[in-house]
Amino acid sequence: MKNGALVRLVDVHKTYRTGEMEVPAVCGVSLEIKRGEFVALMGASGSGKSTLMNILGCLDRPTTGSYFLDAADVSGLNRDQLADVRNRKIGFVFQNFNLLPRTSARENAELPLIYGAHGLSHSQLCEKADRVLSSVGLAGREDHHSSQLSGGQQQRVAIARALINDPEMLLADEPTGNLDSRTSVEIMAIFQQLNERGITIVMVTHEQDIAAYAQRNVIMRDGVILDDHLVTQRFEAAAQIQQNGRARPEPARRGEGAPDTHVTM
Amino acid sequence: MRIAPTFHVAYRALRRNKMRSVLTALGIIIGVGAVIAMVGIGNGAKAQVEAQIASLGQNVILIFSGSTTSSGIRTGWGGAGTLKIEDAEAIRREVPSVIGVSEEVVSTTQAAAGNQNWFTRIFGESADYFDIRQWPLSDGAPFTPQDVRSANKVCVIGRTTATQIYGNENPIGQILRIKNVPFTITGVLTPKGLSPQGVDQDDIVVMPYTSAMKRVIGGTTLRNINVQIDDPAQIAPAQQQIISLLRQRHNIRPGRDDDFTVRTQQEIAEAATATSRVMTVLLGAIAGVSLVVGGIGIMNIMLVSVTERTREIGVRMAVGARGTDILTQFLIEAVTLSSVGGLIGIICGIGASSVLSIYAHWPTLISIGSIAIAFLFSAAVGVFFGFYPARKAAALDPIEALRYE
Repeated sequence: MKNGALVRLVDVHKTYRTGEMEVPAVCGVSLEIKRGEFVALMGASGSGKSTLMNILGCLDRPTTGSYFLDAADVSGLNRDQLADVRNRKIGFVFQNFNLLPRTSARENAELPLIYGAHGLSHSQLCEKADRVLSSVGLAGREDHHSSQLSGGQQQRVAIARALINDPEMLLADEPTGNLDSRTSVEIMAIFQQLNERGITIVMVTHEQDIAAYAQRNVIMRDGVILDDHLVTQRFEAAAQIQQNGRARPEPARRGEGAPDTHVTM
Repeated sequence: MRIAPTFHVAYRALRRNKMRSVLTALGIIIGVGAVIAMVGIGNGAKAQVEAQIASLGQNVILIFSGSTTSSGIRTGWGGAGTLKIEDAEAIRREVPSVIGVSEEVVSTTQAAAGNQNWFTRIFGESADYFDIRQWPLSDGAPFTPQDVRSANKVCVIGRTTATQIYGNENPIGQILRIKNVPFTITGVLTPKGLSPQGVDQDDIVVMPYTSAMKRVIGGTTLRNINVQIDDPAQIAPAQQQIISLLRQRHNIRPGRDDDFTVRTQQEIAEAATATSRVMTVLLGAIAGVSLVVGGIGIMNIMLVSVTERTREIGVRMAVGARGTDILTQFLIEAVTLSSVGGLIGIICGIGASSVLSIYAHWPTLISIGSIAIAFLFSAAVGVFFGFYPARKAAALDPIEALRYE
């Protein structure tokens, strides 16, 4: 194991069986992601990027091949063990936010703490959730339900939920897919700041613009990695927001405060 | 995973769907309430019957003339006139465990005093009667063995008879004319209330059986003999001794049926409470069906809930919930619904049976045992009917669940 590699996939295959038919989704992927990298996983639909994402997120197991996460082989773990790995090491951000309905931002954020042996009291849970919510710019909205939050705010709650357990890796599946471009930039700014703090981020996207915020782009097609390169002209989200803010001072959306992308955690 | 936050999660999920939770619990509330009320009514009836049987006295054996089991002509208890006064004396003399014997003759007739008259029951008894039936006097004194030997014209009357004839006057020392024979009233019995058959036990005149046979009823045979035994353990041997004594006295050859019937208080109590026991079981079973229906309601709602919250289950699994965490969560939801419903149902059941006993005058008896059983049963209904939906939720694949629309 090379030093600093958080993720190491060795010749990973994933084949789905539908009746008699065997449908290969991932056909021999070997990939290494170092600690602190910001990787965008790209590809058209059916390229196997979602399947690879599920394997990286310990939601699914490879049919053959090995997956080392944080130097530990997780390809042979059972359901419960995978659940524990997800709880401790991985934070998920989804395209459709996947917040619990009719539940406050605080309760959504503290969800991962309920599972796994954390032994925190109710007030400690709240305190921790409030801290991580304010770090993604949602201070003062802890008690808002998801229906009272804008899309960008909902995604920030989801990021807070992903961060609350101090995971090794943040997995984002089309995190800007349901957001307008301005909000997308704000979310990317949060990602970049988290990444600067040392969190490894793997993000699935099919948008070139969004992939340009990452350090490295991995492009898949037909279940194999087609291209793997570092981004040369990387977008800086924070700088773009400042520019945009000066160029066209849009009035803040109702229910949404001024963009606050400063990560203070 | 700790249990406390799971309770919190389950409680929050139930609160999110208040109306649905209340309606689901309503099935259990009605079920448990019905069980509590129905069993309360049945037990109340049974307790009343038992209390009345106990009022027959302690360690009592009743011997009736005639037999209910003889072939051919069946005269019923007390009908055949086969018991003689000498039989009672033989029992008193020859069965060692006997401590009291009362020869009994019964009739109904008109009793009059002054310008009042009243149709009442006349009981001819020995002086042991008041001890055997544990029936003390509230006023005055009972008649004595001397009164019985001399067939004196004295009697003791029940509360109802006293009220009907004398109103608020004190009847002690007054003359009561029965079939134109003047009897002096020596005492008034304490009220006993209704018998299991609904007869007012206080509508009674008790006099020496000798006086009753000679002056009021006529005849030479007894309707029955009441016998009191000193020790409960001696009841069965005494019963056998009485049977063989009477068979011998009545010259009944082996193999022929008795011409009398011996019943212990225990046997009478069992026969009388059998009906109310059957009623309790039946009512409880019918109410139990509604509890099961309530349980099916819980299962139905939990299944809907699992389908509806598939995405939520997926998210919980993605952030690290194990299958058992999901199982526990849904099981706690189901059990919370059923046991909270059970608690409210217990309160409703107690309320319903109080209303019944106050307004319909039905005796009800709610025991701690039936409350505990109803509560445990309702919780068990939650576990039983909640398990399948909970397992279904726990077995979901997180990827499928997250994608569920």
